[in-house]
Amino acid sequence: MDTEAPQIVVSRVFDAPRELVYRAFTDPDHVAAWWGPIGDSLPRDEMEFDVRPGGYQRWTEVFPAQPDLRVRIHIDLTDVADGELLDGVIHVTGRLPGGFEPFETRFRVEFYDEPDGRTRLEIRQWLPGHLTGPSEQGWSEAFSKLDALLTSVEA
Amino acid sequence: MRGAVVSGTDQLSAVFSALADPTRRAILAELADRDATVTELSAPFPISMPAVSRHLKTLEQAGLISRTRSGKLRMSRLEAAPLHDAADWIERFRRFWDTSLHRLDAHLAAIQAAQAAERTTHGKEH
Repeated sequence: MDTEAPQIVVSRVFDAPRELVYRAFTDPDHVAAWWGPIGDSLPRDEMEFDVRPGGYQRWTEVFPAQPDLRVRIHIDLTDVADGELLDGVIHVTGRLPGGFEPFETRFRVEFYDEPDGRTRLEIRQWLPGHLTGPSEQGWSEAFSKLDALLTSVEA
Repeated sequence: MRGAVVSGTDQLSAVFSALADPTRRAILAELADRDATVTELSAPFPISMPAVSRHLKTLEQAGLISRTRSGKLRMSRLEAAPLHDAADWIERFRRFWDTSLHRLDAHLAAIQAAQAAERTTHGKEH
């Protein structure tokens, strides 16, 4: 298990029951409807899902306006708890938009009940190289410092 | 291109790893003000000059600083590009989640509206 602090933390509340929000992440028809940047499309026949601990989620992202781009997403699921948790590593390969190079990144999505039938999503993501990363508060400190540096460099 | 600098995500790993150490971040902050020698950089820190030299080597390998000779002095200089790359990576992913979760929100609303409409229709039938 990865005990390092993640570099990206996203918390968002959705006006939908937890079971449905979980399904939006684990059912290919749902994922195709929302995943990715605007303008991308996920061919349904290239989606393969086997959601369980040790399972996988695989799909391809195409961009009708940029036919030379083609992104393969392979997610290895290390930990899955039905309706509660998805944890694994996303492997991104192919020709990526925005000059991104192929990479892999660890992620963890937790689903929590909120009042009035809503659901809170906690997404954590670790950047490549996290294995040599700093301790718990290291990152926030690193990035406040980084922000200050970038500002001073640009000034 | 300096010799030790690698490309792509390996470079990013080296950058994050180099930034992980508080002394190295403090050294970078010093260099943001001005180029400096190892002697000048050692002054503010309670560690030896060889220790500072080792930190400078790590920073140089990550591409975060360059070192040049000016007469007898070896000056370290901040190289901003890898910092921008690291910040850029994080910014892209923040934007990715922002866009995707916005679409997810709309998707969930549409599904529930459709389910509610279906329930109403069935309700009328019964």
